[in-house]
This record gives sequence, structure tokens and C-alpha cells, in this order.
Amino acid sequence: MTTTALTSAVPSGRTAPRPAMVAYARLDLRRQLRDRMAMFFIVGLPTFMYLVFGLGSDDRVGSGNVAMYIMISMACYGAVTATTGIAGSAATEQVMGWGRQLGLTPMRPLGFVAAKAALAMVVAAMPVTLIFAIGALTGARGAWSDWVLGAAIVWLGSALFAIYGLAVSLVFRGANAAGIASGFIVIMAFLGGLFTPMSGIMLDIGRLTPLYGYASLARYPLTDGWLPVGGHDPLWLPVANVLAWTVIFSLLAMWGVRRSRART
Amino acid sequence: MLRAMSTPAIHATGLRKSFRTTDGSSVTAVDDVDLTVQPGEIVAFLGPNGAGKTTTVDMLLGLTSPDAGTIEVYGATPAEAVRLGRVSAVMQTGGLLNDFTVAETVQAIAALHGRPDRVDVVLERARLTGLAGRRVEACSGGEQQRLKFALALVPDPDLVILDEPTTGMDVGARQEFWQAMREDAALGRTIVFATHYLAEADEFAERTVLMNHGRIVHDAATTDVRAAYGGRTVTFRPPADVVGAAGIDPAWLARVRAALAPLGVGDLEVSAASLEAAFLALTAESGTTSNDDALTGAAR
Repeated sequence: MTTTALTSAVPSGRTAPRPAMVAYARLDLRRQLRDRMAMFFIVGLPTFMYLVFGLGSDDRVGSGNVAMYIMISMACYGAVTATTGIAGSAATEQVMGWGRQLGLTPMRPLGFVAAKAALAMVVAAMPVTLIFAIGALTGARGAWSDWVLGAAIVWLGSALFAIYGLAVSLVFRGANAAGIASGFIVIMAFLGGLFTPMSGIMLDIGRLTPLYGYASLARYPLTDGWLPVGGHDPLWLPVANVLAWTVIFSLLAMWGVRRSRART
Repeated sequence: MLRAMSTPAIHATGLRKSFRTTDGSSVTAVDDVDLTVQPGEIVAFLGPNGAGKTTTVDMLLGLTSPDAGTIEVYGATPAEAVRLGRVSAVMQTGGLLNDFTVAETVQAIAALHGRPDRVDVVLERARLTGLAGRRVEACSGGEQQRLKFALALVPDPDLVILDEPTTGMDVGARQEFWQAMREDAALGRTIVFATHYLAEADEFAERTVLMNHGRIVHDAATTDVRAAYGGRTVTFRPPADVVGAAGIDPAWLARVRAALAPLGVGDLEVSAASLEAAFLALTAESGTTSNDDALTGAAR
């Protein structure tokens, strides 16, 4: 039996190869962009809704106009749809066995998280860039700080919903988890006042939902907290909302990770 | 080469692993397993479901850490051996991404191994070159299994571990797969595989390790396992006119029985005996079956 070892063509001295993370992330990005359904909800739908509701709405809001207000709302919707979906499918990939395939490569688990985080942020930047660009060309108006701060908060704040997508996928295991997460996003977008301003009891409920805090914060430079239906939110309200949901989603995700580990 | 001779491909001692089940009780999946595999060996891992094969494979790959015992793969820890690309596997529970193409899947894993140069080689070796542009979801089960095999070859490993590698393949695909494996083994790769198709172990492995209830119950050359537990089988071909669509004419079989009875032959069975018999004998519920009992069981 050992005689075959003599004919071994495999070199015995080896050095650890370096994983080409950028090449991997590029392939993953190409795969994401090919998913027409997902890209429609991330880029197509919010752009379309801005064009329908926002275009030409020149009534004054804060330091700008209604078009600007709707533009930021729709960018929020596109960005969170991106991060939710990508984080959700990342968790699903792990559960469905691709994670075990990756476990046999030199890439560390942290490398996988970094690659997915980069992918999520790159894709989230697409609707933000496109909708802000269309807004700039079609009459959305605001102070320069509204543009810069608004875009930055929309883009960076969408990372919160990556934690949300991860948590939902870990709690509802299986191939549909990412779809469930995106479905809830639509409901939360209504409650959060992204599609249409809420008033009365719906507004009181909406204030407690995660998209309300995030979108209000992104619009705060523009609105200074004044609501389109009348009334005012102090700055601490959206801040507290975002912080509270960050904690809740993180705890949920950690619980999900622990639960999925306990199984094996 | 000297190093290959002196360092075993796998050296495991006293491996033990328990799991907590959902109702809180503890199940010992692997119980005091010792295993040494030399470079260049081809070893079959046989055992019923729940025998501890997959858990052992997971520990060899560093995907699960043992509760007790030591494992070295080419003198290093399993995780280190994986990182160096010395060991690779086709896993039963490994998954693929449906919306990658075959080529992209290989490119992605090759990127992570830092071996983009290997993409064309492994596609060729797994006979997937013609399917390179096809989406994974459009591939048959057997084609996906070949793709997993291609992924296992990406780091050009010294040791390949195959856990039920031919699941989902039809007979032709299975034969083709083992043909490819044979070519690989000829190059000096060490191959350890777990399988349910006992004929595969019989045909392909030089050495067979039988597992049951988390323990190794037999470890010897495959021919010895068959000889010791499978008995000998006399096969003959009946005349064509007694073989119909429903099988062999029972009246004719009765005459054969009558003719053989004076020679001391009882319990005539129409089948091809193989490792299957040894497998059933060894994994029968009575864990402490002696060899003689096993023989009776196999001859039944």
C-alpha cells in the first residue's frame, strides 16, 4: 500500500496561499446584479416611485421641497432593501451548505462577513446614487448640507438593516427567509411613513417602527424634525429609535447564531 | 517523498464526540476512534446512517472539534491542513449556490484558495468543461456532485475525503466518477471515502473501515473483510429457457435444490453475495456479535 506513496506527484512542502478576497467579492457582486427580481426591488421600484410621487412636487419642506423629501424616503427604501436582502441571503447561504464549502478554504469567517458587508454597501449605494442623481436633475431642492448629510445617513444607516436581514434569516431558517425579511420591509416602510405620511394613531404606532427612525434621521437635515402633516419630532426621538432597534436586531441575530450553532 | 513515507496522511487517536439532542439527552456520535491512514492509501468508510462517519469526517476537516482525542493531518492540525490546501473534501452536506454558473463556482473557490490557475484543470478533470457556462440550478444531481468534486480538487490536495460522493448519480455517472477518481489515485492522492454503495468499496478501496455506533468494528484489507464476513459464493448461469420475465422458473429451482441436497447444500439463495453481506452481519443490532455468529448471519 505504501508503495503508491513513492509515486506521489504531490509536493510535500507547501505555503499557505492568500485568499483573493476582491476576486471573490467581484464574482459575488456579479451574481447579485444578475438577480433581476432583487435588483428591481432595490433600484427599479424606488426610482419609479420617486418619479411618480416626487417629480415636480415643489411645495416647501424645511430647507427644501417635497421632491427632496420623497427622494430621500425612496433612497432609504432602496438602500434597506439591498442590505436586508444581501445579509439575509448571506445567512441562508451559510445554513444551506455553501458555508461548509467555504469552511474548506483558507478564508476565515471574518473574511466572509467583510466580503458580504462590502457587497451590501456597494449595492446599497446604487439606488442612493441613482435616485439622488435623478432628483438633482429633476428639481429636488435643498441646502447642500441636506444633500450630503441625507445621502450619508441613508447609505450608512442602511447597515442597520443588514443586521435585521441577518436576524430574520437566522430566526426563519430556510430558502424563503430573505423573502420574508424583504416582505416585512414593505410593511415597515408604510408604518415608517416612507411611502406616504402618516397621521393620528398610525403615526404614533409608526414612530416605534425601525424604518421611521432611520428615515426621519436621514431627512432631519432637511426637515429639522417638522412633519408634513404638522407636528414636530425632537432629534432625540429618531436617534433613540435607531439605537433601540440596533440593540434589538443585534440581540435577535446573536440569539439566532447561537441557536444555529447548537444544532450541529 | 521521504516525508510522505514517514508522516501519515491521517493520524487520529482516542477521538470522541457527543451531541446534545433536542430533548436534552446526550448522544455519543464517535466513541474512542483510532485511525491511521498512510499517504497513497485508498480507504473506504462503511457504516449505517448514524454510525459516526460524517462526524468523523467533520473532525478530520476541522469543521467540528473533538471532545477528546487528537487528530493530525499530515502532521498538522486539520484546520491548518485545510488552510495549506493539503486536505479537501466532497461533503454530503456541502451546498452550492444555484445562481452561479459552474465556472463561476469554481472561480470563486479558486479565488479563495489563491489558485486561479487551477480552474481549467479541475473543470477538465471533473469532465465539466462542456458545462462551464451552465447555471448550477440547471445541472442534474450527478453534475452538481461532479462540481463539488471539482471544488475539492482546486487546492490540489494530498488527501481527498469523499462523504457519499456519488449520491444522486445514475449508474453511468457513478462509473464515470470512479473512473476519474481512479486516475487521481494513480497520481498518488490519498483517498478516504464514505459510501452506502457497498459495491463501490468492494471495487475501489484497498482497505475498508467499518463503523457502527460510533466505533470502528473492523479495519482491514477489503478482500479480508469480504473473506472473513461475506463467505464464499458459488455463482452459475441457468439455461436460458428457464429464465422468464418474472425471474427463474420456480419448478426448475426446486429441481436444483433437490439435486444439491445430497451434497449437503441447504438454503439456496439466488443473489450475488458481496461486501453487502459483511456489512449487514457486522452492523446487526447485537453490537458484540462474534465472527462465527456473523458468518451464520451472512450465510442466511
